[in-house]
Amino acid sequence: MSRHSITMALAGNPNAGKTTLFNELTGARQHVGNYPGITVDHKEGYFSHDGQGITITDLPGTYSLSAYSVEEVVSRDFLTNNRPDVVINIVDASNLERNLYLTTQFLEMGVPLVIALNMIDVARDRGIEIQAEKLAELFGVPIIPIIARTGEGTDELIKQAVSVARQKKEWQPTDISYGEDLDTIIIQLEALLSRDGLLTGRYPVRFTAIKYLEHDDQIITLGQNENQTTANEMEKLVTEVSEHLLKTTDVYPEAIIADHRYGFIKSILRQGVVTHKFDTDRLYTSDKIDKVLTNRLFGPLVMLCILFFLYQFTFSWSELPVSMMEGFFGWLGSVVDSALPEGPVKSMVISGVIDGVGGVLGFVPLIMFMFFGIAVLEDSGYLARVAFMMDRIFRIFGLHGSSVMPFIVSGGIAGGCAVPGVMATRTLRSPKERMATLLTVPFMNCGAKVPVLVLLIGAFFKEHKALYMFLFTLLAWLVALVVSKLLRTTVLRGEATPFVMELPPYRLPTLRGLFIHTWERTWQYIKKAGTVILGISILLWALMTYPGLPQSEQEIYNAERAAVSAKFPETVHQELLQAQSADTLLSDAARSLQEELEDVNRKESGSRLRNSFAGKIGTFLEPVSSLAGFDWRTNIALLGGFAAKEVIISTLGTAYSMGEVAIDASDSLGLRLVRDPNWNAVVAVSALIFIMFYAPCFVTVVCIAKEAGSWKWAFFSMAFNTIFAFLGAVTVFQIGNLF
Amino acid sequence: MTLKELNKKCERFAKKVGSCRRGKDCPKQYGPLSETCQTGKLKICKITGDRKHCARMASLGVLPGEEAELICPQNNAQCLLKVHGGTLSLDQDTSNNIIVQTL
Repeated sequence: MSRHSITMALAGNPNAGKTTLFNELTGARQHVGNYPGITVDHKEGYFSHDGQGITITDLPGTYSLSAYSVEEVVSRDFLTNNRPDVVINIVDASNLERNLYLTTQFLEMGVPLVIALNMIDVARDRGIEIQAEKLAELFGVPIIPIIARTGEGTDELIKQAVSVARQKKEWQPTDISYGEDLDTIIIQLEALLSRDGLLTGRYPVRFTAIKYLEHDDQIITLGQNENQTTANEMEKLVTEVSEHLLKTTDVYPEAIIADHRYGFIKSILRQGVVTHKFDTDRLYTSDKIDKVLTNRLFGPLVMLCILFFLYQFTFSWSELPVSMMEGFFGWLGSVVDSALPEGPVKSMVISGVIDGVGGVLGFVPLIMFMFFGIAVLEDSGYLARVAFMMDRIFRIFGLHGSSVMPFIVSGGIAGGCAVPGVMATRTLRSPKERMATLLTVPFMNCGAKVPVLVLLIGAFFKEHKALYMFLFTLLAWLVALVVSKLLRTTVLRGEATPFVMELPPYRLPTLRGLFIHTWERTWQYIKKAGTVILGISILLWALMTYPGLPQSEQEIYNAERAAVSAKFPETVHQELLQAQSADTLLSDAARSLQEELEDVNRKESGSRLRNSFAGKIGTFLEPVSSLAGFDWRTNIALLGGFAAKEVIISTLGTAYSMGEVAIDASDSLGLRLVRDPNWNAVVAVSALIFIMFYAPCFVTVVCIAKEAGSWKWAFFSMAFNTIFAFLGAVTVFQIGNLF
Repeated sequence: MTLKELNKKCERFAKKVGSCRRGKDCPKQYGPLSETCQTGKLKICKITGDRKHCARMASLGVLPGEEAELICPQNNAQCLLKVHGGTLSLDQDTSNNIIVQTL
């Protein structure tokens, strides 16, 4: 990569196709959602074009460059602080008027600009013909028609962008007229700004003057910090104008400014730039679908049906590959068992690595199916409609419609992750709604909890797997919403903020896009299994293995084995040694010897596990945990879940394989739990309740602390969730045992 | 309940829904967007409420004098409004603050 890399920024409205273009250019596998504002932080990528190194930044989707939202502040700050060599403004050709509103502000700011006219194919299908050359001539910037999804036109776009960047021109603001009255005031404000050099190093003078008129909080604060006297003078003048306008026209200056910007856009588009083949007033197919799918009566019913179908699809279609994966790890375990000599290495490979990581990787097909379903909903635009419909319900619980995305990302449709979910709460502007969302998203069934749910539901309620999964997901939502309401009426009491969002049109997802999104998330899951979970599995294996049995106790078991062996003649021992597999028919005496030896081995393994470090902790907690039906082995798994929820399955796998040496290695964990006397349907539900709602994993806790700006809330989340989950589990276990 | 009675009840319900769609239950030609229960064209007359919120609506093209189309009216709840080629979803508080005139 060239050391003199060109810097580019990719900006535009939400859903204009920025991230798709970013992926197309950089090959970065970044998630693209249809939810406005999903990219909160700007993302950087590198690529080269004709030997020229290029650094490109994907800015968050915004409608304007005024400080109305966090995304807008982030974008504007990036442009002023980093001053990229060129800004590629990606506009949706099928929705030109609204998209060009942001363009007018780039022109006013004077940034070196290239416009990418994206989704030109969609525009054509809608009968919209755009004369790109004419538009470029009127705007005075290069405009390149592209289709980001297929990569069409991107070469020419980058060529133009590189050419603009190489010119290294000074920023040249374009003046837009805001009518005689406002223009006079803007000139006065410009004079004040130039006289005292207020913010002249950051923004063009006219741009700052307009932002003052728009009552831009950030600019006003910056002005106050730089020169209070001039800032006060500016504010006084702006206040007088605002009051006058409110009295005479009943609107604030920003409405007049926006009106003139849209007027400017219309005046350009009406100069033969855009022609419509069809009636411009017609409703597009997307609007017609919305009339049904977002209907007050039908909408929620259709939504529930779609979500239920997603579960059916995931759990019925993935059944075969999941059982094949389970079989594969069972087979791998037996191969290693016969290949490696007895000792700690063999124990670590089988109990630590294969049972631990294999337990997690076994669910990869299921996770893939689930992510594929979610990608279809996201890429088709339906997920944004879910947010719209859920807003009404969320308001009842003191949350915001924008809370839907963090909930869904965290596993609202089972299979997400609380970490990005917690981070996605940044789009919420109200601190209290944000905090309530932040603290309740870990209640969702994330991708790590799904395998636990699948395991326990599959083992104890195998007749109605999809139905139970659906019910447990609804329970997660119910608990999250009730706890939100509780928080919003107690520690987080405050006003609700408005929910305004642009809905993307329905689009037919591309297979390539669906596969990329599915693979991105699945790969994250696999990577986690191969790194964090592998490490934790080995650590937990060590905790479950060492210090081992004391010599005296070991000798007792050796003596017991010798006593059993002595009861049978040598021929029986030979018969048992020669038996090749479990299916080999044995004589009554040989079977008897085998059973007695296994009994001693089982008792020895149990004693060894109980005597281990983990066993001691589990046993220490047992008097309390038994109230919820958890034995010391389950306690070990639940403690491991504090590190990462995926570890629960792997630890259960390790704990139950170490405690049950006699059971066939190819037995699945589900079967081992069903056979265990400490487990039954009531314990399974109690465990599910506890696992769903207890403290978030360590990474999520760190994220909560970071996002909340205090460890106080992170500790609150750990303590509150664990107490709440334990009380729930105890209630279920105690009531369940009455029947 | 006999089949005939059920049929009558359904008919009454359908009439009620239909009359709303035809505007019989929505005589208001001028008022908050949240109270408009007819789909179709309307003119934005005024935006009320907090200044910052008005500014945000303006940047989205929801301005006094603009023509828009109500796609999904849901009395006293959120709604979908098509304006400047885009479809906006607005919550009840927001649509309460948008004063419109049906066209």
